Amino acid sequence: MNDDLHVLAGEYVLGTLSASASAEVERRLLNEPALRLAVQQWEADLLPLAAMAPPVQPSPQLWARIARSASAPVVPAPRRGWWDSLGLWRALTAGSLLACAVLAVNLAGRVAAPQYMVVLVAPQDKAPGYVVQANARHQVQLTPLGTAAIPGDKSLQFWTKAEGWKGPVSLGLVKPGQTITIPLDALPNVQPNQLFELTLEPVNGSPLNKPTGPVQFIGRAVKVM
Amino acid sequence: MPDHTDLLFDYEAALAGCAAGDQGALRRLYEQEGARLLGVAQRIVRDAALAEDIVHDAFLKVWTRAASYDPLRGAARGWLYTITRHLALNAMRDTAREVTVDDDAAAAIDADASMAQWSDAADAFAWQASPGRITDCLGQLEPVRRNCLLHAYVDGLSHSEIAIKVEAPLGTVKAWIKRSLVALKGCLS
Repeated sequence: MNDDLHVLAGEYVLGTLSASASAEVERRLLNEPALRLAVQQWEADLLPLAAMAPPVQPSPQLWARIARSASAPVVPAPRRGWWDSLGLWRALTAGSLLACAVLAVNLAGRVAAPQYMVVLVAPQDKAPGYVVQANARHQVQLTPLGTAAIPGDKSLQFWTKAEGWKGPVSLGLVKPGQTITIPLDALPNVQPNQLFELTLEPVNGSPLNKPTGPVQFIGRAVKVM
Repeated sequence: MPDHTDLLFDYEAALAGCAAGDQGALRRLYEQEGARLLGVAQRIVRDAALAEDIVHDAFLKVWTRAASYDPLRGAARGWLYTITRHLALNAMRDTAREVTVDDDAAAAIDADASMAQWSDAADAFAWQASPGRITDCLGQLEPVRRNCLLHAYVDGLSHSEIAIKVEAPLGTVKAWIKRSLVALKGCLS
């Protein structure tokens, strides 16, 4: 166990770091999965202690203020999440239809018709990276739309989680540019809105049974008409 | 103490609602956690009006960033507390927080030598009431070291404020917190 890392993460979560040390941790969190994981663990472990602060009834004005602020048009740019970008969804819808059509033609006769489709996009620039199809034979197929390079000391790991599941489930490691078909064996059938994502992990995959690295591509399942 | 409504409330669905622009989902989160989050914030900033400002900012952050919440990591409820605690701690840092660099090695020697003096310190927190593994692990620490951790996490006190509170040298408090974190980590994992 790396004591220094856990102590730094623990002090960050406790709140005892100076402003500059805390900002330094936040900067490191962006590229250091081990530190990020250590922080997440402390946050989860210490959370029960938050119950020691007795609840305080908010003034009636507080919700009104929050509601007012939340309704205000976001003028400059505290940017809304990419889920809210109409342009993105228009592009994705067009992209999905195209991908659907192309794949339907290419794959006709080879695999069962997809029941669910997911277009996995990069969280930053929303570039589509992979298409996931789930068919009635209880398989999902992951098809790359390009060959995005990943660092040599990393791997791409494929995950899914449907609503109500306790945690994410790994569907295995994926080589860039590789099309794979994965039997869902032990998993229930794909559900609407089920989350799929590819994260950057150590070469042999996440050391835990959950993602530790940054999300490379993410999307949710939609039923194919 | 969390009540059973925590288990029934679907935090993840409420965040998904926020991401989709459903203000009703934000309202449900507020009704579920608003008073507890205000309690957490007020304990740290020790000012009722400032605490409400922080909870306002926290819910606005939840509203605008719900889409960036990754449901594969950490619990949705924990995310609300993390956001609120960070805002509250930053508000305190903006007012005053030491940027001291001590000789931690000297402090560590100091910490052992001075332990006897605090060995009969009383608990400052009803920590046994908290659920979870953390309670068992806290129980293995000396009361004064436990108090240091809780003054930091629950009260949001800085090292030097804790030193005043537990009447121990600053370097000793820093060393206690570091060692307590190592001990807790060992116990929790």
